[in-house]
Amino acid sequence: MSKSTGVASRPVSVSDVSTPRAELFARVLDPASRANPYPLYAALRSEPVSRQSDGTWVVSGFDEIAALLHDPRISSDMTNAGQSAGGQSLIMQDPPNHDRLRAAVMGRFTPEVVESLRQEVHNLIDGLLDAVGSGTSLDLVEEIAYPLPVSVICALLGIPPQDEARFHGWADTLARTLDLDPTMSREEQAAIDHAFTELHHYLENLVADRAEHRGDDLVSGLLTGGDRGEPLRGQELLITVRLLLIAGHETTVNLITNGMLTLLRHPDILERFRREPELVVPMVEELVRYEPSVQFRYRAALADIEIAGTTIPRGSVVVLLLAAGSRDPGHFTDPDSFVPDRIPNEHFGFGGGIHYCIGAPLARMEAQIVLPELVRRLINPRLTMDPPPYRPTAALRGPRHLWIEVDGIRP
Amino acid sequence: MRVMVDLARCQSYGQCVFAAPEIFEISGQEVLEYDSAPSDEWRLHALRARAACPVQAITIGPAAGPGQDLRQPPATRPAADSVGVLR
Ligand code: HEM
Repeated sequence: MSKSTGVASRPVSVSDVSTPRAELFARVLDPASRANPYPLYAALRSEPVSRQSDGTWVVSGFDEIAALLHDPRISSDMTNAGQSAGGQSLIMQDPPNHDRLRAAVMGRFTPEVVESLRQEVHNLIDGLLDAVGSGTSLDLVEEIAYPLPVSVICALLGIPPQDEARFHGWADTLARTLDLDPTMSREEQAAIDHAFTELHHYLENLVADRAEHRGDDLVSGLLTGGDRGEPLRGQELLITVRLLLIAGHETTVNLITNGMLTLLRHPDILERFRREPELVVPMVEELVRYEPSVQFRYRAALADIEIAGTTIPRGSVVVLLLAAGSRDPGHFTDPDSFVPDRIPNEHFGFGGGIHYCIGAPLARMEAQIVLPELVRRLINPRLTMDPPPYRPTAALRGPRHLWIEVDGIRP
Repeated sequence: MRVMVDLARCQSYGQCVFAAPEIFEISGQEVLEYDSAPSDEWRLHALRARAACPVQAITIGPAAGPGQDLRQPPATRPAADSVGVLR
């Protein structure tokens, strides 16, 4: 592969348009690309580590992403690339602080805790589908996919049901903070600050209450500590709980929504899924590969990093384009096809290395329960609009609405 | 049913323990231990573990037939290059 400096400005053909390679990531960020960014990723991958005209380095090859996810010279703390602090939660921190906080969460985010939410997920999807009633059309996002994950996290944290509505509001607003979004308006920023303050006050009271009356919820667990993790207190506890709410919300919304969208676009696979319910296990993994909720993550280079015949200079902003790596033809056969029983399927949908998604077991369980229930209960579902309208954010990608027509809802 | 883990690939992400705690365990210092011949009762859990493994190190096969006992004692592996996910 040619890596001479002149390459960056040579136009590359992306379906019906030509874009200079160094401008491709700007097009990824453009909301107009949201419905189908994958041709842009394919064009980027022709130079798997690509310097963009704004100085950002975009990494889009499977091997290169895998290498950098495990490279200690790559930081998740964006102040190392001259950006303002994006919050002090563990997802934006490096070892040793990251590892300490992560151990505290993992010590309490156990298989038993995840398993204890299974019945709750069943109850939630039952209730949400019942609430659709006898209608013949629904917005899967508003009516099902959006409310469900927040309720699950509330159950995880032990939020009393009467406070849940407020959590839904905060989660909506704060979802945007996972994206480093330069286009964010002053009003949006103000709304986020306001939600942060309110959530903060709420959690302060919750934590004070749990300190007095420990339960078997995660907040009590984090306060107590476990075998592997020390107890969390004060600010650190608040910031960690807030991260769980943000990281586990819209990602799961998008997995459920992208799941139905993908099935409705592949009627043959939908039919097969009806006959073979066990297909859901590899299929959820394939969904996370094929239409990942998290398309990319930002990192900072702590040193000059030689990779793929080029050098990422120290202090650079690095984009790990996970969704491009998960469709790298060098690693996957037929990467642009949705193959529900793809085995093996080593994808980056939940990241990799020390920041690998903490909530992956919970997200898998939710999707493995919800998708079969949707397919079982929705009678003759059809997409009303394809492609559906998308949320503007590029890193956290998913439909804003998914309107579906049905002949009815089975009991 | 037979379960095999490629221990050269395993990085102790621990996803298998969530999917099939009856088969997989990561003990103290991030050492994976597993039952290589679990009961068929846990088939679905084993399939979930195979799918969830971030490095796809798990293979599942039919139980060894009579006369060709392929069972192995539970395997263990040092934590050399583990990513510290459970640390
Ligand atoms: C479909 C659903 C989900 C997807 C696709 C997803 C994806 C990801 C990805 C790609 C990362 C890596 C971030 C990085 O490397 O910078 C991550 C990290 C994380 N996720 Fe998830 N996630 C999902 C659901 C959840 C849920 C339900 C929770 C919690 C309840 C959660 C909590 C976290 C946390 C705390 C981290 C940070 C881990 C660390 O930095 O060590 N996620 N997730």
